[in-house]
Amino acid sequence: MKFSYNFLQSFFKKKLPSPEKLADLLMMHFFEVEDIEKKGKDFVLDIDILSSRAGDCLSHMGVAREIAAITGEDFVMPETKIKKYGKDINEKASVEVRGGCLRYTLSGVEGVKVKSSPSYIQARLKSCGIRPINNVVDVTNYVMLETGQPLHAFDAKKIEGEKIIVRYAKKREKIVTLDEKRYDLRDSILVISDELSPIGIAGIKGGIVPEVDKETETIFLEAANFDPITVRKGSQYLKLRTDASLRFEHGIPLELTKIAIDRAVSLISQTAGGQVFKNVVDYYPEKRKEKIIHFNIDDVRSVLGTAISYKEVERVLRALNFKVQREKDLFSVTAPYFRIDVEIKEDIIEEIGRIYGYENISPENPKEDIIPSKENNFHIETNCREIWKGFGFSETYNYSFINEKYAEFFKREELIEMEKPASLEFKFLRPSLIPGLLKNLQENEKNYEEIGLFETGKVFLKKEGEVKEEKKMAVISSTDNFYTIKGKIDSFLKKIFLEDISYTECEKRTFFENFSSAKIIFQNECIGFLGKLSQKVRKEMKIKSNPLIVEFDFSKLKKFYREKVEYKPIFKFPSLIRDIAVLVPKDVSYEDVQKKINKEGGLVLRKIELFDFYEGKGIPQEMKSFAFRLTFQSKNKTLSSQEANNLQEKVIKALEDVSDWKVRR
Amino acid sequence: MTRDKIEEIKTKFLEEIKKEKSTERKKKICKKYIEEELSSVFCSLKELTSEKKGEIGKMANELKKIILEEMKQGGEKNRKEKGKIDVTFPGESPQIGSIHPLTKLQERCENIFSKMGFTVVEGPELENEWYNFDALNFKKDHPVREMQDTLFVKQKNRENLSEKEKLLMRTHTSCVQVRYMEGRKPPFRIIVPGRVFRNETTDSSHEINFYQLEGLMIGEKISVANFKSVIGYFFRELFQSDVQLRLRPSFFPFTEPSFEVDVSCSICKMKGCSTCSHTGWIEIVGAGMVHPNVLENAKVDSSKFNGFAFGVGLDRVAMIEHKINDIRLFYGGDLRFLKQF
Repeated sequence: MKFSYNFLQSFFKKKLPSPEKLADLLMMHFFEVEDIEKKGKDFVLDIDILSSRAGDCLSHMGVAREIAAITGEDFVMPETKIKKYGKDINEKASVEVRGGCLRYTLSGVEGVKVKSSPSYIQARLKSCGIRPINNVVDVTNYVMLETGQPLHAFDAKKIEGEKIIVRYAKKREKIVTLDEKRYDLRDSILVISDELSPIGIAGIKGGIVPEVDKETETIFLEAANFDPITVRKGSQYLKLRTDASLRFEHGIPLELTKIAIDRAVSLISQTAGGQVFKNVVDYYPEKRKEKIIHFNIDDVRSVLGTAISYKEVERVLRALNFKVQREKDLFSVTAPYFRIDVEIKEDIIEEIGRIYGYENISPENPKEDIIPSKENNFHIETNCREIWKGFGFSETYNYSFINEKYAEFFKREELIEMEKPASLEFKFLRPSLIPGLLKNLQENEKNYEEIGLFETGKVFLKKEGEVKEEKKMAVISSTDNFYTIKGKIDSFLKKIFLEDISYTECEKRTFFENFSSAKIIFQNECIGFLGKLSQKVRKEMKIKSNPLIVEFDFSKLKKFYREKVEYKPIFKFPSLIRDIAVLVPKDVSYEDVQKKINKEGGLVLRKIELFDFYEGKGIPQEMKSFAFRLTFQSKNKTLSSQEANNLQEKVIKALEDVSDWKVRR
Repeated sequence: MTRDKIEEIKTKFLEEIKKEKSTERKKKICKKYIEEELSSVFCSLKELTSEKKGEIGKMANELKKIILEEMKQGGEKNRKEKGKIDVTFPGESPQIGSIHPLTKLQERCENIFSKMGFTVVEGPELENEWYNFDALNFKKDHPVREMQDTLFVKQKNRENLSEKEKLLMRTHTSCVQVRYMEGRKPPFRIIVPGRVFRNETTDSSHEINFYQLEGLMIGEKISVANFKSVIGYFFRELFQSDVQLRLRPSFFPFTEPSFEVDVSCSICKMKGCSTCSHTGWIEIVGAGMVHPNVLENAKVDSSKFNGFAFGVGLDRVAMIEHKINDIRLFYGGDLRFLKQF
């Protein structure tokens, strides 16, 4: 809210510190001053009044009281002098509240002369961003800025009947507001009505009918306390936010209606003349109860962590207008009427802390024992990332959302949709990390030929009506082929000690090309997928390269991740190498052959490497050739050449036992 | 073939070698003598008597030795010269990837807090209203609930759902406070790094998703002074400099008292620069003493235990550290950016 420096000064006899100094003080003990602007002979301070203090500090009086508490200067209440009262207002008007209102105070002035208001009022209104209108309306706004209580003035002659009714709007009721806008009301919206029709939207904006103009002679003045939720919902429904509705939404002190209305009628009679009605009409069924909060000096000391004295606690609270009683260590304090935010002892401790100054509290190490936790497992993610980085891949972060275009790749009923996202790019939660990586790849192709990216993050989808959030790790590569990326996956998994990984063909899967993708299996569980990007997607996304994509279920990686492995003794005896080349029909997989060799090779067969693969000229068309290098090594002795030859023969025989398989000699 | 003939070849060879400076050409000369002159000598040996053969053959072999020796020496010298490395020649780099700057920062924070006995905890990004708001003492139908532009999940008949069924994208990592404390016994020291969401139009300083690091310490008689000590250690370690801190009053529904923590600007050493908006201070932490209602909502006895909580905006810290002026770079996947880390 914007505050006028001159207005704030009006609460003090002594000169206030300079606007900059004042801003610093407020920032360290109250709230942040976001901006200071010189405006004519005034300065405008934009103070960020947070919600907790909206009740008393969306007002110059509230902030002035804070300044008084911080600086120790005397705060002077603005005067409310009325020379002579006129008739009793209760004879002229009555108030009927049917709901949504906690207090309604009505007063008025008879015989006013509506003209422009005094220059100091106009200047202060302008400083706070309010346009001056006339001396009556200006006073209502001025007193709102002063006290925080919204006020409204009606031309008494324009009201039908003698009764002011606070009620909910009827169906199909309409109102035209002061700014000549028409609103269709509904039954949850609270209105101020005369005996015929609404004359204002309660707590939000006045109607045009009883507008105060140059002809106005008698005014009624309303200062009410409306139900915050009603005002808030009404204002949201009508999409109409005003200075008044802002204050009501947060809730304001009940006592304020009387204080503000007294101040307003006094100012009006000063600036517009006329006679103030005697008394007020006051609907105030449930008075505010005073709340006494008890606490011990130790509560304050242990929470703040400083040995603050009794005297200081008392000084601070009194400066903030709290009533303080103390018996030895025990304090009983009562908050002033305007501090509707204060409810518990922690609220009091905050008041003491901020006025005393957090800068006066010295840091102190916690005395609590440290209990080591067993739950730290974040390094798993770190390790996984580091391995892919080592392979030359860069980590990327994408939005947790996808747009309609990507959504089409998924089943609509599995997607989670957002309510009114700021942009349609964020319409659905991402059900996979791949769309983001594809986008990254496509965009980077402008600048790079070799692209390798990975991301770890959460994905979201609905399965059987249940909303699921899962952590994934995905990789995309423009330079790898199926086997090089598979090799990287093997090395990656080996580094986190997942051994004996197998791969099986994978049926149709979004983004993956059929017959060119596989499931990654560990201990009979699918831990991820790899494969070529589907050509269809590739074309649609205008991707130049022919990328490989990998997807891991992170919870599975975490589950199987191992750190401790048993050391395998290094063999002391020399190894012997034998090569075998075998021709097999094309539909035989590598694994079929490899398993066969492994079985026959026995314990001393330490390693099987495929060192050549061939199909084409020189061998029958329906065949392919694998060339293996077998390493034999015993842990107990030096193998003789003859032993290795025998084993090789055994393997060859087993391979040749399969019909159509032929070992090349 | 006579002894003189061999002597002549020898003299001629030594003269030629003496004159030549380049090792490369010396080598050529040697080669020429072995291939042409000497081979003709050896060829002619068969025509000689066995006695002469022995004598001439021996001489020829000695000469060959000399020539070979010369060739070897020259070669060695040559090799020495050749082996001289042009150290300014470009190296061959293997492909190395990169780690996202926010990951790096997050890991550094985790390490610093681990030293102080904090456990790293995770929580869901897709939250419900109870943990995001109600459990944290955000009152229903109160404007504070709108302080953060919440991104809600579209749900049928949302009004009729319970708070735990109403879904949203968490607006802060503070939700994990109650989630973690529930069913556990104090004391607690946790940090929760993670992605949070605000339904805002994106620009150079606002993103729909960004990162926070939540901290929570609960025990008996935890104080503001303890908070100052913990957060001070964290920032001194993080920025590797003796930064100053200041606490200012603030308001959050889930802490009482609440404060903002400003860290002295290490870029300009508090002289004022664009990073600190010329104030010398950078606002990066919201914090406070955990509100008793929050503890009670997590079934922690607030008469016995208390503590502090704080939230650090990680994107902002990374932007300051790397002088990044647009938050969107973090989420754009541009390798020209990513490869720098």
